[in-house]
Amino acid sequence: MRLYSRKHLNLLREITLSQFKLKDQSTMFGFVWSFLNPLLMLTVLFIFFSARMGEAIEHYTVYLLVGIVHYTHFSNSTTGSMHVLLSMRHLTGNTVFPKELLVVGSVLASSIEFVISLVLVVMIALLSGVELTRFVVMLPLVIALQVMLVLWASLLLSCLYVFVRDINHIYQVFLRILFFVTPIFYDLPFVGQGIAERVVLLNPMTHLMGFSRSLVIGGRPFSGGLFLFLLLANTSLLVVSIVVFRRLEPMFAEHV
Amino acid sequence: MAYAVTTTNLCKRFSLQRERTTLFRVLQNRLLGRARGSSSFYALRDISITVQQGEKIGVIGDNGSGKTTLLKCIAGLHVPNEGQVLVNGSIGLSSGFGIGMVPELTARENVFLYGAVYGMDRREIQEAFSEIIDWAELQDFVAAPLKTLSSGMKTRLAFSVARHVDTDILLLDEALTAGDRRFKQKCQDYFAALRQSSKTFLVATHDLDFVETFCAKTLWLHRGQQMAFGETQDVLQRYTEFEVIAS
Repeated sequence: MRLYSRKHLNLLREITLSQFKLKDQSTMFGFVWSFLNPLLMLTVLFIFFSARMGEAIEHYTVYLLVGIVHYTHFSNSTTGSMHVLLSMRHLTGNTVFPKELLVVGSVLASSIEFVISLVLVVMIALLSGVELTRFVVMLPLVIALQVMLVLWASLLLSCLYVFVRDINHIYQVFLRILFFVTPIFYDLPFVGQGIAERVVLLNPMTHLMGFSRSLVIGGRPFSGGLFLFLLLANTSLLVVSIVVFRRLEPMFAEHV
Repeated sequence: MAYAVTTTNLCKRFSLQRERTTLFRVLQNRLLGRARGSSSFYALRDISITVQQGEKIGVIGDNGSGKTTLLKCIAGLHVPNEGQVLVNGSIGLSSGFGIGMVPELTARENVFLYGAVYGMDRREIQEAFSEIIDWAELQDFVAAPLKTLSSGMKTRLAFSVARHVDTDILLLDEALTAGDRRFKQKCQDYFAALRQSSKTFLVATHDLDFVETFCAKTLWLHRGQQMAFGETQDVLQRYTEFEVIAS
């Protein structure tokens, strides 16, 4: 088992900073652009679905926003992190350090945006008349869980991508499907009680969004049992993904 | 005296076809048991050397002789196909031409990232920063993206950081080659000061004068084969004779 020292934490910070700079070129416009994309999505979904869904769901704008922010974070950071071993191939192939730090750094860099977005969502909720309760302070727990989910998915994707380049295309299709099997613009009763409901319930993103929505819109805590179950499941998958990653790591240098 | 690096019958093979693997091809190979029609070549064949702690070793040979592959095997970036590599102590690998640095980041950002890769913390790099830039003579290019720098500049920057690296063994891959005469002189001053240190160096280079001056022992590789490993004078003599016959 490889242990991390202060040296590695320092390297992780530098990698995170550099990933953040590379993503937005640290320009104001680049940073704003990353918020424009979900806003445009919000506008489109609102125009098309608010008439019907908006009646059934309270505070539909905020509901949509929470869903979009969670989904955008998942899709953007897994896609970006999948490529990181290749986009940083100068480091992957020529320098010696635990390469999972590249993936962790990339996930952390894109999670900065996620945290800022959620803070904005809370502010928008406040402005649009949602009565916030003290349970909003539990949001960091949801953030931690979502980052864990993104992390193990990214670790697996990034090391597979080194060897199998077309998973890139397959993953884009997967993300498109994920958009529809996640209650972003609809709620659970909408899909009925058939197979669709089972698929939606199996999707961890469903529950993560549910947690955030119950904290922000519902003003009540989420189910502790479900949270613990997801925490346990994600921890196990994180361990598995690290084992797989390290198994494949010695072959990275000649394949990037 | 204890060893720093030992290799025994080290072999490294590379596939000649580097076509991109697709999921379809992986499934085809797995399910139908079809072996990849792969022709491979030996980048390294039966390399057996022992480097004692504190030794300064030159690695010479024509392009494609396996110098970089050997250093990467020692660094642990490549896994040998046969044989083994034993390393005793912490290891750092520095290359010339800006290899190992990120082209899109600025010189300044690269110094911090590159330094962190070698285990320097932020404060150490901050303290050393102006010295690193001055030594590399890049005062005017601190904020320039690395890709806009010449290969000589990138080489200078990488080596300037590598001087601060505190590892027991330092592997330098063409780290001194692309510089101009003044850079060469600076490197020579640096190595002259280091001659008595306990640090172990393996330096892959085409600069035979450098090897003659600073490396007590030299490894000569030719097309992946170990042609000679021993006293620098002997090895260099055999190498130059061989070059004359070959040409």
